Amino acid sequence: MGETSDYNWYILFPNHNEGLKLSGELKRCGIKYTIAPTPRAASISCGISLIVLEEDLPAINQVIREQMINIEKIVQLPAIKNWKFRGC
Amino acid sequence: MADYHQMWSDLGMDLEKHEALCEVLPEAFGGVYLSQENRPKGMDFYDFVVSEIHGIRPSELIAHQQNGGKVFGTFCVYVPDEVVFAAGAIATGLCGGSQFWVPGGEKVLPANTCPLIKASVGARLDKTCPFFMIADMFVGETTCDGKKKAWEVLNQEVPVHVIDIPQMKREKDIAAFEQEIMDFIKVVEDFTGNKITPEALGESIKLINNKRKTLQRIYNTRKASPVPISGKDALLVTQIAFYDDPARCAQMGGQLADELEERINKKEGVFPADAPRILITGTPMAIPNWKLHHIIETAGAAVVVEELCTGTRYFENLVDESATTIAGQVRALAERYMKTNCACFTPNPGRLEDIVRLAKEYNVDGIIDTNLQFCNLYSTESFLVKQKLDELGMPVLHIETDYSENDFEQLRTRVEAFLEMLRK
Repeated sequence: MGETSDYNWYILFPNHNEGLKLSGELKRCGIKYTIAPTPRAASISCGISLIVLEEDLPAINQVIREQMINIEKIVQLPAIKNWKFRGC
Repeated sequence: MADYHQMWSDLGMDLEKHEALCEVLPEAFGGVYLSQENRPKGMDFYDFVVSEIHGIRPSELIAHQQNGGKVFGTFCVYVPDEVVFAAGAIATGLCGGSQFWVPGGEKVLPANTCPLIKASVGARLDKTCPFFMIADMFVGETTCDGKKKAWEVLNQEVPVHVIDIPQMKREKDIAAFEQEIMDFIKVVEDFTGNKITPEALGESIKLINNKRKTLQRIYNTRKASPVPISGKDALLVTQIAFYDDPARCAQMGGQLADELEERINKKEGVFPADAPRILITGTPMAIPNWKLHHIIETAGAAVVVEELCTGTRYFENLVDESATTIAGQVRALAERYMKTNCACFTPNPGRLEDIVRLAKEYNVDGIIDTNLQFCNLYSTESFLVKQKLDELGMPVLHIETDYSENDFEQLRTRVEAFLEMLRK
């Protein structure tokens, strides 16, 4: 998801419950998302984030408002192209 | 964001060092996992677990301890988790699958020790794995010489109980393992202060069997063509099963299996139906060791089954649930665990039979026999594996590797050449 775009959009949360809540709502609405570990460039805390498509952001923001989901922020980061294997 | 720094600090972890691991995980997981196309939606749960890998399960284990419960850290598929859960305690896997932890292990172990052992010891000594910092007791075993000595090092940090695994499979060896399980029950009872009743052990046997049945269901879907789940994703499911609550593991795995079975009905796969199908056999791949699967699957082949401790050895064979006494249940446990075929046994024809059987069941085109560097047992047994497969005309490639990235390109070249041969 997002491989063809120059940027990825990450939604960050104050805790994992809010992240799971939003992913459940997006699934119900048929809006694409990917659960991912939060990149360091977005936050110094680890944990769940959701990668979403830019064109879906208005609809996602509406879901967030309507379902009163607490998010920390939405971050745009350059997509990693031609990733070279790196273990961890 | 979920901030686990206070929890890690309270556990006595080295936050600065641990930070380095937290930094690389998102990119590595993104590159290996999230780059895959058409993943089952049921993988959401496992992506979530990885995203919170040193946070959410450790916090559950700590809550269990705060309620008076004990946590046992285990390293091997021969440790009967049933005993631990029957005493109201929790068994969890420990860290050991990353190059990140290896230098810490090399401070005290010879460099020519396998990376799994070095990483495990390093994770504890460097204080960079919450599971190692939480466990009240480690449960070791005697499946190789390196581990046997590692327990003596770890015992200086946390109490270690070592289960003596027989090295042969005669009736007297099964009886000896039965006695080892009896001894383990006593250790767990004394450590937890909880008596293990036949009722509790019976429930626990069902709990762990249910987990095994779910993993069997997931693996069975990989027999289909096109295969509905990648080898990388199946490996992740198995790796996480070592850490997760067994009931939740069965529940979430069941949901994934439902989806995979639906995919089979719709003939929906993650690789083309003509992609080479690969069986991997050899030494375990502890999380986050995804190197070989990544090489194979980015070269266009599908890993459809793993004859590994992080594969079929973990969940094949169920424990007979019919016994109602501790003696009968322990016998059933001993019989089940002694069916597992590790290279520590001599002779070990069962493993060769398993490889051949699985190759047929999963309709594989080729077999990759891999062992971690300095794993003398699996490395030596590779001769017998190749001999057997050559005899049957089954293509096999032997690979020895470690956790580093140094041999990545060489391995890729060898794997691509092997796949090229399979495609002809």
